[in-house]
Amino acid sequence: MMSIQSSRMKSYLGIWTGLICIVGIEVFLTYRSLSAGELIACLLVLAFTEAGIAVMYFMHLKYEKPSLFWSLIPAMLFVLFMMNQVWPDAYRLAMLKLPIH
Amino acid sequence: MRIHERRLDSNDTDSIGAGGIVSESEMALHDGNVDPAAFTEPSPYGIQSKKLTIWLFIISDAVTFGAVLIAYSYLRVGTPDWNRPFQFSPSIVNGMIMTFILLSSSLTMLAAVAAAKAGQKSETLKWLVGTIILGAAFAVLHLKEWFHMFGEGWGLSHNPTGGPIIFGAAFFSITGLHLLHVISGVIALIVIAIGFKTEWLDANHVETTGLYWHFVDVVWMFVFPLLYLMNAAH
Repeated sequence: MMSIQSSRMKSYLGIWTGLICIVGIEVFLTYRSLSAGELIACLLVLAFTEAGIAVMYFMHLKYEKPSLFWSLIPAMLFVLFMMNQVWPDAYRLAMLKLPIH
Repeated sequence: MRIHERRLDSNDTDSIGAGGIVSESEMALHDGNVDPAAFTEPSPYGIQSKKLTIWLFIISDAVTFGAVLIAYSYLRVGTPDWNRPFQFSPSIVNGMIMTFILLSSSLTMLAAVAAAKAGQKSETLKWLVGTIILGAAFAVLHLKEWFHMFGEGWGLSHNPTGGPIIFGAAFFSITGLHLLHVISGVIALIVIAIGFKTEWLDANHVETTGLYWHFVDVVWMFVFPLLYLMNAAH
């Protein structure tokens, strides 16, 4: 029992190190000369990678029945995609200019 | 489940149901010598209801954070004179330290859950206290940064640089929502630690709270790059 626990903690430590490295890459990219659009795209890809690793391993979704994953994650991604790209507010926000100073 | 036919008398049908045909376990339940859990349908996800509940909460909360972060991202990219006020030191360095602390607190939470599942009470409490301390340290650093910004003249509708005032509203509302989750998580962890110590709560409660705590960490993985790094001064 103890050895299973310690081997699992070792793998968590490896994942934690990987996540810290991804944060380091994010900071590195921030100080490259990228446009706001390019930077946000790169940071989002890295953030989703980090979040995916954390959800699958730290939150143990990888070790649950696949039905839990398929019930929760695609539905959430669908809602986020629709909010971002399709629903009317997304268009309103895209066109929104802020004259407020 | 084997069906056992037995004609019930009038008192039985009042309490069990009509029809007169009952299973052996139903009869045993009626006689008061069987666990009522024998009648519950197995979970399609193979998890306890409290774990499914926290997952559903996490998904709905993720959509809430998604909505505010998406709205902010549109504003950030679509506003040409957007402020980039955060210097590498102290703001970005502070953000990196906060990220390190929160990621480390996920690790201590994992250790707490593993110890709780193994029935090691003192180890569980030790790791839970570690997680609480790290969570509190994150909140203190966050508040320190907020007060530093207030001191510079930033506010929900104040921009001391003369740029768009929406910067303050976006920054303080999103980081404030996240900070609220961190503080709630710290309080929940304190309750869980006390409950686990007094054996009022068990390892499943520690695991469920751990899921929430990891979710707070996952949200920060988006907040830090979008609100801090996207606003870093060059």
